[in-house]
Amino acid sequence: MSAGQGIGLLEIFDPKAPPKAIGIDLGTTNSIVAYVKNERPTTVKDCDQAALLPSVVHYGDSGEVVVGRNAQLRAAEHPRETIVSVKRFMGRGGDDPETRRLGPYAFVPATEGEPNVVRFDVGKKVVTPVEVSAEILRALRRLAEDELRSVGGAVITVPAYFDDAQRQATKDAGRLAGLEVLRLLNEPTAAALAYGLEKKQNGKFAVYDLGGGTFDVTILVLDDGVFQVRSTGGDSQLGGDDMDRALAEEIFRLSGRDPASATPGEVRVVLDLSRRVKHGLTDADVVDFESPFAKPNDGEPAQLSITRARFDELVQPLLGRTGTACRRALKDAGMKPEELDGVILVGGSTRVPAVRSYVAKMFGKEPLGDIDPEEVVALGAAIQADLLSGHGTTDEVLLLDVIPLSLGIEVGGGIVDRILPRNTTTPAAARATYTTQEDNQTGFEIHVVQGERELAADCRSLARFTLRGIPPMAAGMARLEVTFRVDADGLLSVHAREERTGIEQTVSVKPSYGLDDDTVEQMLLDAIDHGEEDLAARKLAEVRVEASRVVSSTKKSLVADPDLLEPGEKERIEAAIADLEKAVQGVDARRMELKIEDLDSATKAFAGRRMNRAIARAIEGQSLENVEKTVEHAKGIEAAHAESGPLPPPPPSG
Amino acid sequence: MDPFETLGAPRRFDLDLKVLEKTHRELSRALHPDRFAQAGASERRAALERAANVNEAWRILRDPIRRAEALFRVEGIAVGEANEPKASPAFLMDVMEEREALAEARAERNLPKVRALATVIAQRARAAEERLIAGFANGSPPKDELSKLLPILGELRFYQRFLDEVEAIEEEAEEQEAARSADGVSP
Repeated sequence: MSAGQGIGLLEIFDPKAPPKAIGIDLGTTNSIVAYVKNERPTTVKDCDQAALLPSVVHYGDSGEVVVGRNAQLRAAEHPRETIVSVKRFMGRGGDDPETRRLGPYAFVPATEGEPNVVRFDVGKKVVTPVEVSAEILRALRRLAEDELRSVGGAVITVPAYFDDAQRQATKDAGRLAGLEVLRLLNEPTAAALAYGLEKKQNGKFAVYDLGGGTFDVTILVLDDGVFQVRSTGGDSQLGGDDMDRALAEEIFRLSGRDPASATPGEVRVVLDLSRRVKHGLTDADVVDFESPFAKPNDGEPAQLSITRARFDELVQPLLGRTGTACRRALKDAGMKPEELDGVILVGGSTRVPAVRSYVAKMFGKEPLGDIDPEEVVALGAAIQADLLSGHGTTDEVLLLDVIPLSLGIEVGGGIVDRILPRNTTTPAAARATYTTQEDNQTGFEIHVVQGERELAADCRSLARFTLRGIPPMAAGMARLEVTFRVDADGLLSVHAREERTGIEQTVSVKPSYGLDDDTVEQMLLDAIDHGEEDLAARKLAEVRVEASRVVSSTKKSLVADPDLLEPGEKERIEAAIADLEKAVQGVDARRMELKIEDLDSATKAFAGRRMNRAIARAIEGQSLENVEKTVEHAKGIEAAHAESGPLPPPPPSG
Repeated sequence: MDPFETLGAPRRFDLDLKVLEKTHRELSRALHPDRFAQAGASERRAALERAANVNEAWRILRDPIRRAEALFRVEGIAVGEANEPKASPAFLMDVMEEREALAEARAERNLPKVRALATVIAQRARAAEERLIAGFANGSPPKDELSKLLPILGELRFYQRFLDEVEAIEEEAEEQEAARSADGVSP
């Protein structure tokens, strides 16, 4: 945009600089925010020049919330009021086994009618993992705002192996933090994006991502800017924290103490000590340290010593679990380790020497690690955010990701009927048809599950709903069509329809282990009560951005494909645009939304025709290329094209 | 949705998967939701629906059994184990014997024997596929021809299950091997 008039125009709609999209790695141990600056992804540093924000949230006595290093400092003294590694609790039920592992927290059971989620008692109040994560995201947003003035949407990364409930929880946390979540992006894919664009290399890659609390392995193929994920596997409850726990148990053992009888404060101290010992063993062969416990005989602290060899031994079972996931991912991708062109290491835990040598041995090659394994995910997320916000410099980049775990519904005998198998490319849609088991059955109960086991009881229960009002019929007469749709965030929605009567119902799967929309809405309102921000103003700004986006894209499409318009259609669309532009001048967000809907329905048929043309062109371009391949590279081929008229235009790239 | 039409592929069993993969990729480039992040809701929806169809079509066509099922389905023939004619008793007998042999080989932990059985089944699967290739080589087969081809689906599913089982046995052996070598390695 040039000076003068251009600025004047901008000012009518947006008094600030154009908002910048950010990428966020919301990690178990540390979180990072990054954005694309002068065409290069860069992390945002805090006042101490640190990019890593410890994912620690402390709830103070007087209601203050502290995030990051300052929260970490209070963890030992206030173990229950300071939440560390909250990511491990995202999308989990209140009774999840994770809540029973070694840790210092006080959990509160859900009362009747409340959503079944984990609840931490942090002294003055009770918080859910979504709220705790939102505090971390809010801190990152503020950090980015200090540098960018205005933040315009965020890509948040999630472990590839996160299930639907965990993804939904992450998205809710983003919303709660006042972020427009442009996309949830899988962490290994983000890392591959950062690497791929750096190296401009084609080939087959494995991404081994061992973070603080989650393990992912992804096999993907990079080809001309397309990052196609072939398979993914992992364990969303396995990471550096488990190494710390193994070490902590060893320290308790060496100190002659029983971890079960330790106070929360002692557990926190030993876990923190374990992390420091682990870090020390990255470079040293042995670490000597003082036990936090006094010896019973003389009251002096015991001197302890742990060797790297002992540590390696302690973590072997954890590494073995990553190996099993890697072998399965390779098998799902139909690849052998020797076919891989490279192995990318991601996550702070891959600094552990035992991890590196295990990976090298398993894949038969030295892993790549030239981008900081702790920053690479955020850098990739920043690139994707930039692409999605339309400022993308690399038009040809495309990420084709997959669902990590099969999605299905429970049928007779508690068996799972798989509707979308794991590693299906997203966006995905599939249908299945069922019928009634009993005469005069008037309702279908639909139980949506995720996982690889045969029995629904062994899988993750995502949602239950009932399609009612079916007129009585003989068994086997009703025809129930169930459609699963998974969007590019990996989030599922389910649609059920009885074909004879046309009764239908759609649920976006708000998981059994999650917060419903009303709860999230209420949390948003609560945040505002605390004087944080003005919801109405934010809403208005969001709708305006959406409106200008829709207007500009519709105008572009009218210019691009005028021949696809039917008589009178152009006039109807232009009238709807004019209405919307008029509404945008005002301050009524609801009215703008209605006008956006009107424009949406005015363009529906036209949009469909444009998509069909895009398909036709892509296929045409393909078959043309195939013909060209078979035809010899004859001279004068261009002259022949010139005679027979112009080539079909390339598919639209925007 | 007709997956052949969606990917612009001929209705044949022997498809060039390399070409189809490229078509899938080009269609994804044109239709993926990422491309429409800045578009209005109607275009975003239209693109999302078509991108999902393209992915589904590619998932069907790249898998031999799903591709074969789709060939029958587009000819208006219902498929799936409940709709297809029962397999011949001779085939069932044969199947039972092969499965017993596999179970024995597994119990004996005789991996070479497991692999030999797999080779035989893979050859038979290949032969069944050849019959499908020939049957669908020249456009829509006539009705009586279609009903003759239909039992091949059941055969292919059996072969597939057999080969899946072989893979599971091999995996089991590998896991045991990996566990053993992990024990042996001094950390």
